[in-house]
This record gives sequence, structure tokens and C-alpha cells, in this order.
Amino acid sequence: MTATTTLRNTPVLTRASDWANKHRKWVLAAPAIIFVLALMVLPLAYTMVLSFTDAQGSIQRAFDFVWLDNYVSILTDTTRFWPAVWRTLIFTVVAVSLEMTLGMAVALLMRKPFMGRRAVRVAMLLPLVATPVAVAMMWLLIFEPTIGFANQVLGWFGIAPQGWISDPATALPTLMLVDVWQWTPMVILILLAGLVGLPEEQQEAARIDGASNWQRFWHVTLPMLKSTIIAALLLRSIDAMKTFDLLYVTKGTGGGSSHEVETLNIYAYALSFDYNEYGMASALVLIYFLLIVAVLVVLTMRRKGAQR
Amino acid sequence: MSSTSVITRETVEAVQAADGRRERRHRPGGSLESRQFSVFRAVFLAVFGLLCILPIAWMILASLKTNIDIYDPAKTFSFSPTLRNYSAVFEQENFLEFLVNSLIIGVGSTLLALVLGVPAAYSIQRFSMGKSSVLILLSRVIPHVTLLVPWYFIFASLGLVGGYSSLVISHMFISVPLIVWVMIGVFEGVPEELEEAARVDGLTHIGAFLRIILPLAVPGIATSAMLSFIFSWNNFVFALVLSGTDTRTLPVAVFNFIGYASIDWGALMAACVSITAPMMVIALLGQKYVVAGMTAGAVKG
Amino acid sequence: MRLRTPRLAAIGAVVACTSLILTGCGGASEESGGGTVRVVVANHPWTDAVLSGIDEFEEETGLTVEVTSYTEDQLSQQLNVRLNASADDIDVMMMRPLQEVRTFHENGWLTDLTEWATTDETWDWSDFQEGPQASVTVDDQVLAVPLSTEREVLYYRKDLLDEAGLEVPQTLEELEEAARMIQERNEGVYGFVSRGARAAAVTQFSSFLYSYGADWETDDGTSGIGTPEARAAYTFYGDMLRNYGPPGVTNMSWPEAMAIFTQGRAAFYTEADSLYTNATDPESSTVTETVGFAQFPAGPAGSRPTNVPAWALAVPSTSNNQEAAWEFVRWATNQENTLKAQEGGVIGSRASAWEAQVDGTFPEDLAEAQRASAEVGVGYSHPVVLNVSRARDIVGEPIVTAIEGGDVEAALDAADQAFSEFLADERE
Repeated sequence: MTATTTLRNTPVLTRASDWANKHRKWVLAAPAIIFVLALMVLPLAYTMVLSFTDAQGSIQRAFDFVWLDNYVSILTDTTRFWPAVWRTLIFTVVAVSLEMTLGMAVALLMRKPFMGRRAVRVAMLLPLVATPVAVAMMWLLIFEPTIGFANQVLGWFGIAPQGWISDPATALPTLMLVDVWQWTPMVILILLAGLVGLPEEQQEAARIDGASNWQRFWHVTLPMLKSTIIAALLLRSIDAMKTFDLLYVTKGTGGGSSHEVETLNIYAYALSFDYNEYGMASALVLIYFLLIVAVLVVLTMRRKGAQR
Repeated sequence: MSSTSVITRETVEAVQAADGRRERRHRPGGSLESRQFSVFRAVFLAVFGLLCILPIAWMILASLKTNIDIYDPAKTFSFSPTLRNYSAVFEQENFLEFLVNSLIIGVGSTLLALVLGVPAAYSIQRFSMGKSSVLILLSRVIPHVTLLVPWYFIFASLGLVGGYSSLVISHMFISVPLIVWVMIGVFEGVPEELEEAARVDGLTHIGAFLRIILPLAVPGIATSAMLSFIFSWNNFVFALVLSGTDTRTLPVAVFNFIGYASIDWGALMAACVSITAPMMVIALLGQKYVVAGMTAGAVKG
Repeated sequence: MRLRTPRLAAIGAVVACTSLILTGCGGASEESGGGTVRVVVANHPWTDAVLSGIDEFEEETGLTVEVTSYTEDQLSQQLNVRLNASADDIDVMMMRPLQEVRTFHENGWLTDLTEWATTDETWDWSDFQEGPQASVTVDDQVLAVPLSTEREVLYYRKDLLDEAGLEVPQTLEELEEAARMIQERNEGVYGFVSRGARAAAVTQFSSFLYSYGADWETDDGTSGIGTPEARAAYTFYGDMLRNYGPPGVTNMSWPEAMAIFTQGRAAFYTEADSLYTNATDPESSTVTETVGFAQFPAGPAGSRPTNVPAWALAVPSTSNNQEAAWEFVRWATNQENTLKAQEGGVIGSRASAWEAQVDGTFPEDLAEAQRASAEVGVGYSHPVVLNVSRARDIVGEPIVTAIEGGDVEAALDAADQAFSEFLADERE
């Protein structure tokens, strides 16, 4: 590692120290950058190679190059692949929209101090740090059709019990709600941090001009918050597209009996570690990665636009 | 755009001061409209707060019930609590062993990631290394399942699968970018003049960083370390594939619990409470730091 | 059995890691080999029965046994992942002969046990029945030792049948009639329950398929699930669960289905006989007094239940401890333990144990059903292929469609074609 000043008692060390200081930019940054690169670029290259092969069964086995066959069979697969793409996008769009809307409402209400603000803050943090696997199990019990608390509550209001996570028709929407429960606080925290940084003057000016709350929000607060909103949107969209723990723990390999919650992530896992079709899985994860990058690019272009 | 992602003692205090300022400025209970609004706000936020807590409370309740009580709707709130589930979890299921695994991997990956990440963040911030920060971003974007197959191949051929090292390395892949991300914000708040002043006192650049800058960044380091540990503790998918029978972490151990004979809900909930409780304690004690870390980098121009 | 405590070595491992000398903490453990046998098993009644006596084995041999137990799905995935990575932290594994022996052998993951198995007079390999022997033998090498065999039988509730004045159903038609009647007469009781989850259901649906005169493959090695007989079987199974089964059945593997039955909420249940203790054990069941067992009802082609070598013990080729591993396998599968497991309800593969008089703990009607099933049974419960996981997903898909009341014909057409392509691919 780097030599510190306490060790400058020999010419060699002095020289080393001088060299390190001269190149400090890279001496300090290189280890981390090389680490991340090595764990990302090498595997991606390897995945790329594997995606052109028929590697399967055992990783020690020899494999043949089949070039674009994997890609063709994935992209023409209308039973597993395309539904998984739509599920990934629907899950992301619905969950993130709900999170943003609810998050914005709560953040605005929490902007001004009030009795019990601290309590709400604490309550909000709990879902955020809870282990996703434990959260998934917890909701699995709450939504259990026969003994779950959710149907019990419905029963108090005379509503018929629902299948929730066990019913293929409602499984994905229910899990979106769980995602909203766990991650809305993240959006609130980000938006609150953005709100705290806003100058008060415009607000005051608008208030003096007699603008209503709604007008003030729409014409003053929102434009100033735009980049924070997009940052939150970006973070949540990426993470929502990558949701794995919740789906896998509640519905298992393959995302349920009708693949009802099989997103690209879950499908990729099944291809890799249930079917051991490594070549096919590699092609799928590359397509999946590209999809995420595409979403990211679309959103950042909007972000740049917001800053103009 | 202003930046509030800077986490030093000063900013935390500044935020609180700002709260105080508003408190004086905003006197509630003026017009009728604002009174109605206050009531609406109180109800809305109370409901929201309860919705956050209720499921967790429910999980804790269930963990204190026998399975017979869990199956009996009449016993929803009136039951005689028992710690049997907890003793089952800790005595029969070797839970302590998994807990130690989670600790080892969490602490190990966090410490190593700090060693790599903090200097890198300083350098990236001071020299405005744009490409590097894009790389860091990219590592946040890439789906973990994309990396799992090749990592698995590579770690397997190195004979590392099933050992602690493959888990520590994989968790560091999350921690290093996270720490760099948070720390860039921290170093933005440290004036460059400090380094110059230390240089005048005869310290080298690196010496100045180690002796002057780092001590100032301690709150930020605490923030990023806390977050890194939480993320490692909660991580599931890496350990699912890369852990061995002896190196399973808590989430994987709990996952293996499912479908055991017939579903033992009580013990399952006890296990879930046991995993989540430490994280909640950390979040409550280090509330400000967790909040600051979670929002770091998001509120930037 | 030693209770494993966190080892200081582990903390040492972190220190080693921290210095970034990755070779310093590579392997899974620093204490492999020697006196510890690491056994990975499924959560199965056999495990409970035999492992209860593990202390004796440890005393006799001076070895320590560490057991890790997984659910079935988890076990097969874990084995795949661990063996692929040449893990040396498994010395003995529980595996499914029909599903895994061939694949694992092709991948070079199994130790050849022939020498040990066939030369040991007292342990006596020839005592094992022919079917189970064949299932673990590839290229004349013995690669695993069969543990338990399973037959699909009918679990039913005597009290509900009596109350409705019905006899035990002998045919699938009678089963449907009885399920309908009992469900109508009893509020909150479902007529029938069985597995409905896509892949898990395949092994239990097999008996329905065979009893309808169909099979997974035709004689010339193409898909057999498109035949009229197969279509009738899929439709029948789906109708039964849709009309007389509980809600959410498509999420059910055996733990969930068993829970429905043992809580007294189903009249009939088709399931592997090896799981019967779940229904007779007062700890887990409310129907201990009223549960009855019968042979699988006859379809158009008679009663053709599955009768399969369900589990076996094998030694991974990567184990550094193969001698000790064999010691364990030998002990766990000896006559005494096979009998002991049989008393616990798990029928082994030894002829001697089959002939032995098991004491009265064993339900009389179950023993009768098992004997009858063994004579007419079919020796596999899913397509016999290399990539069984994918095959089970393909042929299980229409089961789910049928249960949900979707377009079974279309689902079968699609599955039939997919399965044909799958078979053609595998047998190129």
C-alpha cells in the first residue's frame, strides 16, 4: 500500500512515497476501480462468449459454438421470454409510479414540522432496512388465503377472502403492493432531502401573490424539484427492474405454476441454476442488461432535459 | 442546484437548524382552511406510519404464537405468548452459526470495501474523474443475476465457491460502489484549502489525506459503513448460489426453512424477526446516518 | 450428532481475507477430511427415521456426522450448484436416482461404489431389489445406494366415507363421485386434494396418466402427452382439483397439500406412501384416528400407480473423504436401518425388509395397498431424460392449465410440441 510520512527514514521509502504522491490520483483510485472492473468487465466478456455456445449441464463439460442460436430462440420465444419482459416492465412502471405518487404526497406533508414527525420518520425507516427475504415471508403469511391477516381484515368489512399471492391473477399486483410498502420510504427520504434544500423566497412570494397551495406546488415546488424527482425515479426504476428476492421467495423457481410472476430476473435464474442451460442463460442476461441500460438512457436524457 | 448530500456534522446540524427556522416561521392554526389541512395531514400521516409498522408488528405477534394459535382466527390478538419458536430457531437450527456467518461476511466485506472505496472516492472527487464515476454507476445498474453465472464459473474454477472469500468478494461488489458514491458527496464538503494548509505544514499529499481529511470525514465513513453492512446483511442472491453448507448466511438459512415438513409458520416468523431486528436497531440508533446515506447522490445537480 | 458451533477458524478466515491473500481462505472449510462426514439430505421421513440413530454410528466409528437438510427443490439446485463448483464440502448426498444419476454420472460427479458395494457379504448388495438396483447402475457401475421406494396411494377419511354411506373408491370414476358427494354434505371440506404446483405435481399426476393408459413417451421415443388417453388424464386431474380441490392448489407441493388433509379439510388425497406419518402423527395431524389408505383407484387402463426408487445415497467424486463417506452409506442402508426406516413408514429397497414382518405400528390397510401397488406399479414418475427440470416444467404446464379451467387442448398441443422438440434435441 502507500507509504505514509512516518516511515520516511530510508531513501527507498522516500522515493516510493514521492512516486505515490506524484501519481496519487491513481494510487488512491486504482484499487477500487480495478476491483469493480475485474468483477464486471471480465464476467461480462465471459458471458458474451458463453452466450454464443450451447454450454449446459456441467461447467466442466466441453461446449460448441452455436453463435446466434440462443438469441434467436430467446427472441422468438413467446411463452416465457416476452411475457417475462412485459412483467418486468409492468411491475416496474406500476410499482414505481405508486411509489413516486405516494412518496411525493407524504414528503410534502412532512415538509413542515408537526407533532410526531419524528415517529413517522422512524416508522418509515423500518421497511427500508428490513431484510427482503424476511419481508417476503412476512407478507406470505399475512396474505395466506386461509389464516392470513389480510383476509381477516376483509372479513371484518364483509368482503370475500382473496387469493392474493397464491392466485395467479392477483399474485403480481399483490407483490407490487409489497414493493410499494418496502420502497416508498426511500422515495420520501430523497424527496424530503430535496425539499429541505429549496429556498423559501419563491414560496413566500407566491403566497403573497395569493397562489393556492396547489398552484404553489405545481408552479413553484415541482419545477425546482425536477432533478431530484428524476433521480429518485431513476434509482427506483433500476432497482424495481432488478427485483429478485421478493419474487423468488414468495413464488419459487419459475415464478409460480403459471410463471405468473416470472420476470426476466427470475427466468434468468431458472435457466442458470435449475435447467443449467448456461449458454441460453448468458444470452438472456445480456438482453436483460441491455433493456435496463435502455431504460436508464431514456430516463437520463429526460434528466438532462430537466436541467436545461 | 444545491447539494445536501454532504454528510458532515455541520450539515446534519444545519438541516436541524433549518427545521427550527421553519418552525418559527410557520405558525399553524391560522385560517379555517389550514386547520382542516392540519387535521387531514395528521390523519394521513398517522395512517401511513401505521401501515409501515403494522405488518412488522404482525410478524412479531405471529412469532410469539404456537402454530395452533396461528391457525385460529379467534386468537389473533388474545393468546398466551410463548418463546418456544425462538428457542426452536436458535437451538435446533444452528441459527447462531448462520448469524456468525452473516456477521463475518458483513464486517469483512465492509472493512475491505472501505479500504478500497474511501481513497478512491477522494481521488475521484478531487480530480473529477468522470469516467470512473460512470463505472461506479454502471455497477449499480447491472443486474446481479448477469454476474452470477460467470462469477460462479470463475470462483468455481478457483475453488472458492462455498468459502467465505467468494461471498466477501461478491458483497464487496455492492459495497465498494456504494461507499465511493456516498464518500464523493462527503469529500465535496471538505474544503480543498485544508489539504493545501497541511501541505504547507510539511505533509505529503497522501499524508494530508490520511491525517487531516480522513478524520474530518468520519461521520461520512460511519454512514457508508453502516449502509454497506445493512446491504450485505440483507443480500440474498449471492449467498444463495455461492455459499456452502457451512457458510450460509441468515437469509439463505431462513429461505431453506420454507416448506419444511409442513410449514412451521411460528418458527419461520421467529427466524424472520431475528434477522430483521438487528437491522432495525442499527437504523434506529444511526437514524440520521442511514437517512443521509440513502439519499446521498440523489439530490445533486 | 455434534451441534456445530461457530468456529474460531472462521474469524481467522476473515483476517486472512482482509489481508487480501485470497488463497488463504479458499476452500469451504479448513477441517475437511478426517473425522467428519458431511451429509446433505432432503426433508424426508427417511431422514428423520434413520438419523435419529446417528449417535450409535458415531460411537462405533469415531466419525462425526454433520447433517444439512434442504427442501426437495432446494436440494436439487444446491447439489447442482455445489457439484458444478467441485465442492469438497459434501461427502454423502441424498439424491433422486431417476432424476439425477444419469446426469450426474455424465458430468463425472459420482464416485463409483461398485467395489465397496459388491464385495461386502454382510451388507449384501444382492438383497436390493432389481428395479432400484437398475436405477442407480449405469455402465455396470453402482453409483448410488437406493434408500426408499415410493408408491402413490390414496389417503382418505374413513369417517367422512362412513357418514356418506360410501365404500372406498375402486376406480377414478367412483373417486370423483365420492369427492362430489362428500363435498356437498360437509361444509368446509373439499372432496379432493393433491399437488397442483407445476413441477411438483408431475410425479403424482403420473399415476393418473398411466391408469388412463398413456405414458410420457410413446414406444418410438416421441412425446406421448398428445394422445387421446393422455388428454383425458390431464382433463380428469384438472377437473378433480378445480371442482373438488381447495383454492390456491396450483401453489401446492406436498407440504401444503398435506396440511390441507391433516387439518381435516379434504376427504381424498393422492400422495406418495412414504409421507404417511405426516397424517398419522398426532403432533402434526388432526385426522390421526380417521385416516385410511387404499390402492390407487383404477382408470380405463386399470390401476397403474407409480412405484419408484425415490431416493438414494451417493458419494460425490469431489469428496476428500470417500472411505468414511462409504462407511456412512453402508451403515445408513444396512438391513437394520432399512427395517427401522420401514417402521417409520419408509419402504426401502431391500427384499429382506419387504418380507420381514413389520410390527403393528404400521397401518394394516397401507401395507396392503403397498403390496398391491408394487405388483402393478410403474417404475418411473416423470419423463426419463437428462434435463429433468425442464421436462417437468414442460409436461407440468398443462396440469396447471387444466386445474385453472383454461384451454387444456391448446395447452396440450403446445406442450406436446415443445416436449417432442425437447426429446429430439436430447437424443440427437
